[in-house]
Amino acid sequence: MLVYIVRRFAGMMIVMLLVAMVVFVIARVVPGDPAAVMLGSSATPADVAALRGRLGLDEPLLTQFLLYLGQILRFDLGESIFLNRPVTQALAERSELTALLTAMSVGIAMLIGVPIGILSAAKRGRLIDQTALGLAMLAASVPSFWIGLTLIKYLAVDHSWFPVAGYGPPDASLGERLRHLLLPAIALGIPNSALILRFTRTSMLDVLSHDYVRTARAKGLPPLVVVLKHALRNAMIPILTVIGLTTAVMIAGAIVTETVFGLPGVGNLIVSAVLRRDYPVIQGALLVVSAIYVLINLTVDLLYAVVDPRVRY
Amino acid sequence: MTRFSRRLFNTALGTTIATGGLSTSILGAWTTPARAQSGTAASVVTVATIGEPPTLDPVGTTSDLVSIITQHMFETLFTFDGDWKLAPLVASALPQVSADGKTYTIPLRGGVTFHDGSTVTVDDVVASLDHWTKASPRGKTVAPLVESIAAKGADSVVVALKEPFAPLTALLAMNNGAAAIVPKSVIDGPGALKSLIGTGPYKLLEHKPDQYIRLVRHDGYASPAGAPSGYAGSRKATIGEVRFVPVPNAATRVSGVLAGQYQFADSLPAETLPRIKDAAGVKPVIVKPFGFPLMIMNTKTGVMANPKLRQAVLAALDPGDMLLAGLGDPAFVAAEGSIYAPGTPYYDAASAKPYADHAPGKAAELLKAAGYKGEPIRIMTSVQYEFLYKMSMVAQAQLELAGFKVDLQVLDWATLLQRRGDEKAWDAFFTYHTFVPEPSLITVLNPSYPGWWDSPAKREALAAFNREMDPAARKTKWVALQTLFYSEVPSVKVGEFYNLAAASDKLTGYTPTPWPFFWNTSLKS
Repeated sequence: MLVYIVRRFAGMMIVMLLVAMVVFVIARVVPGDPAAVMLGSSATPADVAALRGRLGLDEPLLTQFLLYLGQILRFDLGESIFLNRPVTQALAERSELTALLTAMSVGIAMLIGVPIGILSAAKRGRLIDQTALGLAMLAASVPSFWIGLTLIKYLAVDHSWFPVAGYGPPDASLGERLRHLLLPAIALGIPNSALILRFTRTSMLDVLSHDYVRTARAKGLPPLVVVLKHALRNAMIPILTVIGLTTAVMIAGAIVTETVFGLPGVGNLIVSAVLRRDYPVIQGALLVVSAIYVLINLTVDLLYAVVDPRVRY
Repeated sequence: MTRFSRRLFNTALGTTIATGGLSTSILGAWTTPARAQSGTAASVVTVATIGEPPTLDPVGTTSDLVSIITQHMFETLFTFDGDWKLAPLVASALPQVSADGKTYTIPLRGGVTFHDGSTVTVDDVVASLDHWTKASPRGKTVAPLVESIAAKGADSVVVALKEPFAPLTALLAMNNGAAAIVPKSVIDGPGALKSLIGTGPYKLLEHKPDQYIRLVRHDGYASPAGAPSGYAGSRKATIGEVRFVPVPNAATRVSGVLAGQYQFADSLPAETLPRIKDAAGVKPVIVKPFGFPLMIMNTKTGVMANPKLRQAVLAALDPGDMLLAGLGDPAFVAAEGSIYAPGTPYYDAASAKPYADHAPGKAAELLKAAGYKGEPIRIMTSVQYEFLYKMSMVAQAQLELAGFKVDLQVLDWATLLQRRGDEKAWDAFFTYHTFVPEPSLITVLNPSYPGWWDSPAKREALAAFNREMDPAARKTKWVALQTLFYSEVPSVKVGEFYNLAAASDKLTGYTPTPWPFFWNTSLKS
């Protein structure tokens, strides 16, 4: 197991280096200039050129890339052009929100997707199964921003049960912060629950058709025990995979939801950085998100061995 | 299986505890009403802005968003009153200008303090003005004309110019690219200020990018005297904290102000006016004058360098259609050709007459006279400003109808800003200009601004206008400049557009202005 983990980490380093190179090139290939955005639309080309000089953006690209590589090797992601602070600090400030939002939305997606998926498989072909599949299709088809705007309209504006947007006032308690995240988590969790539901159903249907399940039923075990104790564990590997992927995607993929709810998370940071051409933030944030993506995949792979003893590394 | 069950049990227990903890936290928070949750206690006004400002240094940028926030923290020597006339702010009176128009003696108000408690000295003012000429886009335009900036005694500053330059006082009064008065110790060459210390009625408490900017009352604030009028007169910070929250999504700004989470929301879509009007506890704020969209043409390089072709563009376009397509509601637009709107000192309709002469036939004749051979006109636009994008679509259709071949390039705003600096990359682009009280601040008049309008006639007309000190004579010279604007057509002014904002009924004393401010306002409990 240890050798496997070390090998995976070594592979991860190579992936990160490639990501760093690709992100650097893409950020520079896209036209646009942070200096022009910073100075406002009244700025003249001479003003822009002067600021580019001060920011070091007039250095040759190769020089900029080598400086950037040097920084990465020292675990330094550089300084944001706009935020006037290190990229690591900017990311750290937003990581709490993103982590909580991801956890809550994955939790909601699982709470909806896994039980209904199991029920749907157990009652295959019945009305409940058809209804679940229909709802899953609907949930997957409705964009999260529409769910978000609808939730805001009815639950926040009309009834004032929830705040409309933001992450709470400066002195907000953890409870208040979580309350600000509840509607976005629902908006984000519902479309993702559809994917989990369908994977759970498919995986459960596959396992429920195995001989050992038939044997368990023939032995007279209660249906609930057969499904939850004997079948579910063996159906978990594809479910874990999809939950892992969903989690990884949500870390930076909640961009639209964060925008609709005015949440200062990592997704919002990346969008703002792209619009402002804040190169260090784009590079740093994408590098960190890629690292998390790879780590989640590694964790999911390791969890296979926990869930299924037949899996050995 | 036993081992697994135990692990499963432990996991389930952990999850239950965690979920329970979260539920308790959330339910605990629920016991307080939603509106109080948002930090809108009686002494806090939460203002939803269109986004995160690129900086909080008011000197180095002309961004309106920056000035909306920083005008609470930083003050200039002069400002504008409700009639857009100049008034003193950190100065005690308007400057005494020598007969040759070259020497400005500015008396300073005594007892003005910075946010750090120190008193403003004449050295701070000299250093601030010197910094402005090096760091501000506006100050840099003045710098070549400045002979010296020096103290005169302990309470006056003298700005000596190489030649008369009448707009100087107005430039010193602008709140963006601002000649902000700051302590000498925070100035660090032409770069950004070392710390954000000003003399304004509010001071910076905390800035969390993309979350909030908290400004709190400056208790030692020394207000100018006189009845409040526009940005001038006495300033009283009744509200304890003004909190600016970046909310880039316009629909969220609307929902937030309707729900009572924000007491003020800026730049809202025109189509939300009925919703705001019908809502209880919120009132719409329509800001007039606010700005004017422009189609700026490249007068330096490419096909549009031919003035006849630019005149053809003006004849081909129907600004009324463009305005309606862009803003949707006639309540928010005015098909007005005068660069200054009715009711402002520089308004003149007669010299703007060509604006309304929409004539595709005349456009076709001008095209022929210009020797136009169907070269594609590269027009840059951006969907990030949806109203500009819609206007450019109408312009494309109307220009093609008149015989132009149009290559409409839809870019993101950052790309457009970069590309417009390359004179070979474009023929026209769409942008907008916020209302500025002094004509010489209009970007199109700056020969370095993309578009590069710099004909000998314009240079002479602008110089004559800038030399003229007498207000009535300045108006006449401005009319001459506007006449030239409509004969050389460096840009097409599409018309006037107004800004929609919304304010809580509880917010009283608010004055609608292009750069909303919150001193002299209060919150009803």
